[in-house]
Amino acid sequence: MKKIPFTLISGLTLLSSIILFGYLGPIFVDISNYEVASVMPSQPPSSELIFGSDSQGRDMLSVTIYSIPQTIKIAIIAGFFGIFIGLSLGLLSGYIGGFTDTLIRITSDSLMTVPGIAILIIIATNVDTMTVELMGLTIACIAWMHPTRTIRSQVLTIRENNYIKVARANGLNNFQIIFFEILPNLLPYIAACLVASITGAILATVGLESLGLGTQDDHTLGTTIYWARRYSAILRGQWWWWGPPIAIISLIFVSLFLISLGLDKYSNPKLSTLNSKKRRSGNLENSQKDSPTANVLEISNLTVEFEKEGKRIMALNQISLNISENQIVGLIGESGSGKSTLANAVLSILPENGSVTNGNIIFDNKFVGNLSEQELNKLRASEMALIPQAAMNSLNPVLKIKDQLLDSLVFQEKDSVLKNKKIVHLLNQVGLDGNVADKYPHQLSGGMKQRVTMAMAISHKPKLLIADEPTSALDVVVQKQVMKTLKTIQQNLKCGMIVIGHDLGLITQFCDDVVVLYEGRIVEFGSVEEITQNPKNSYTQHLIDSLPKFDFQNA
Amino acid sequence: MNLNYVLIRFFQSLLIIFIAVTINFVIPRMIPGDPIEAALSTKIAISGTVSVDVEEMAKIYRKKFGLDQPYLVQYVNYLKDLTTFNLGVSLVNFPETVATQLLSALPWTIGLLVVSTIITFLLGTIIGAIIAWPSCPKWFHVLVIPFMLTSTIPFFLLGIILLFLFSVVWAVFPAGGGYSPLLIVDYDLESAIDIAYHAVLPSISLVFGSLGAWVLSMRAMMISVQGDDYILFAKSRGVSPARIFVWYCMRNALLPQFTNLALTLGTVIGGAVLVEIIFSYPGIGSILFAAIAGKDYFVIQGIVYILILSLGVCLFLIDLLYPLIDPRIKYSD
Repeated sequence: MKKIPFTLISGLTLLSSIILFGYLGPIFVDISNYEVASVMPSQPPSSELIFGSDSQGRDMLSVTIYSIPQTIKIAIIAGFFGIFIGLSLGLLSGYIGGFTDTLIRITSDSLMTVPGIAILIIIATNVDTMTVELMGLTIACIAWMHPTRTIRSQVLTIRENNYIKVARANGLNNFQIIFFEILPNLLPYIAACLVASITGAILATVGLESLGLGTQDDHTLGTTIYWARRYSAILRGQWWWWGPPIAIISLIFVSLFLISLGLDKYSNPKLSTLNSKKRRSGNLENSQKDSPTANVLEISNLTVEFEKEGKRIMALNQISLNISENQIVGLIGESGSGKSTLANAVLSILPENGSVTNGNIIFDNKFVGNLSEQELNKLRASEMALIPQAAMNSLNPVLKIKDQLLDSLVFQEKDSVLKNKKIVHLLNQVGLDGNVADKYPHQLSGGMKQRVTMAMAISHKPKLLIADEPTSALDVVVQKQVMKTLKTIQQNLKCGMIVIGHDLGLITQFCDDVVVLYEGRIVEFGSVEEITQNPKNSYTQHLIDSLPKFDFQNA
Repeated sequence: MNLNYVLIRFFQSLLIIFIAVTINFVIPRMIPGDPIEAALSTKIAISGTVSVDVEEMAKIYRKKFGLDQPYLVQYVNYLKDLTTFNLGVSLVNFPETVATQLLSALPWTIGLLVVSTIITFLLGTIIGAIIAWPSCPKWFHVLVIPFMLTSTIPFFLLGIILLFLFSVVWAVFPAGGGYSPLLIVDYDLESAIDIAYHAVLPSISLVFGSLGAWVLSMRAMMISVQGDDYILFAKSRGVSPARIFVWYCMRNALLPQFTNLALTLGTVIGGAVLVEIIFSYPGIGSILFAAIAGKDYFVIQGIVYILILSLGVCLFLIDLLYPLIDPRIKYSD
């Protein structure tokens, strides 16, 4: 069970105490003095009249208590009607689709483009006597479009989930699916929409009433402000007249704001994950490396843990691995085995909730854990490089390829003519034409994007190159070409290299040695021959067995 | 720029304006009650004349404004009038036309609201970006809290509080109006200073009243962008944090913010009407307030038309500008 956010609790508490003040107030206080000429006019607060009185002789405490339920009533009518219409139409639109969907979408979209306040003004000026109920309904008329949109898009997402398909296969009818499968999952969104609708409704009511378009014959929080303004209570300094309604409206808004922040945790969980502070990684005790070695990378006893909803999950468990110059190591394992975490740990780009809790990474005789963020950045920009897993999304969509390549060259070239030459050279090296530099990422195919990421990775002639599933997003023909290019690059640079993959066939064709990772531990390490001929671990055996046989003959 | 693209967007905006003005035509006719009779009764009640036959007078007025004709004819005339910006005459300030009344008020409204909205947008976007950044200092978060709270209060209520505090209790700013009564408004420094001085409180209430929304939406966008693969890849390449912050995170998070800015500019005239009223600012809002009080039907309709038009124009402008800031959207198709 997730912890209920503090903001949600405090918001709900505040809101319910305001509502209780309005509804239970009449029990403790005599509120019969809300009519004109009940008490002495224009009295500041005193022991007799706690909230003072207005220039028409109304007791402001009575007026305030009387108006809270009125305003709440408008907000609830408007909020609930708006949500009811929005939810029904959103469900219909998202679940049925087709013509119904088109019709609902076009109607709500075109109504949304009409300024809401314009519609409200038209309706309100044309109605003879505005009552509290009518006001609520009027506002509901312009409040249903937004929930319709939100609910529709959520239904579309939920509908694609497997459990809905399972439910349908199990013979549940549409009614059951909507009520037992979809609605429960919509709850956080419905709640968020309801809070937004009620906020909007109160804003609209108070706004219209302050304009003089509201229920002037009755007391609500907005009309009190209207009358205070009409009788220049602000400039006369009669703060007790307009102060209480403004204070209560503000408190209502603050509480609704807190509630919506709290609900974000359920409807938009991503927003609250970035709070945990990152710990400094690595063992600091042995800060000097005794004997320099030829190894580019030495990993010893590396343990990486992630924190998720208060629980600690071990992603890497006591990993030790050395990579020397010109050595290509394949890192293989199923998804979730910690392959990408290892790559990120070496580059010190673990996500905020992950940290190195034990062990060392020594890169080029330097302890990575001891470097400052600045030194790390320099290292990443000049000596190590990553070819990312998701080439489709690994380029900034709003910058030209040229500018992104230049970002990788900051420490290399200063002269702009040389820079441009270097860019063309780099692109040619990965088999791309020089004019790609002036294109945006969306203008390139998946294979071209992958090549661009390779060009970026090799731009500074790294000593260590980590290729994280460099071909996973590509089709088989392009895969072969990309791997070939990668091999040429590695041979030119003579760098140490880690190739991460889950395709044993591809890895064995490409690498010198293979590491098999399973649930965060190394279960097998050896040359390609050793591993394929004589696997020690049953998981490796399993991997080899699942390979189609002709792959080896072609290799 | 592709001419086809411009034309298609232009007609889309026209369609939106058309739908909106049609609603503006239909709703008043669906609701029982006669605005002309109502306006006349108010006028008569104010002047104190009793011996006038309201119904007879209303009939004459209706004939004059063409309201006795079939709806279809009325509708065609209505659209014709709108395209020529012939918005009728004010019933209260007869014979002044609605168009002249609105045109004299529009510069004030646009000046106050557009400037404040742009200030709010810039401030909110920058603050939102900073608080979403993982290495943002704790004190900055604490600093932002009061602004978030003022933003939950509607800006016209904030206006009342500011007006009371800074022109009644501690009278440092004028209590209202767009300029000093004795000033002859001209294009000179004196006028500029005076107008700016009068605009301080209204713009503060607009800025503080809506800052929070911009902060929150920018923060949410920044957080979602920070999880994107291209940020991780840029980090792995040793791109400097400042460069990642501005050109990789903010630049991408700005795209939806920009759409919101255009939409806000389109609706800002409607939303901030109340601020103008509170500060007796000589803009559209004050005219609307007077028109509602006097049931000046044609003025209200004219203002609604202005609201619709400004939203339509802003939507058109976003469509024209969007390809410039998001290369994925092209001027073709």
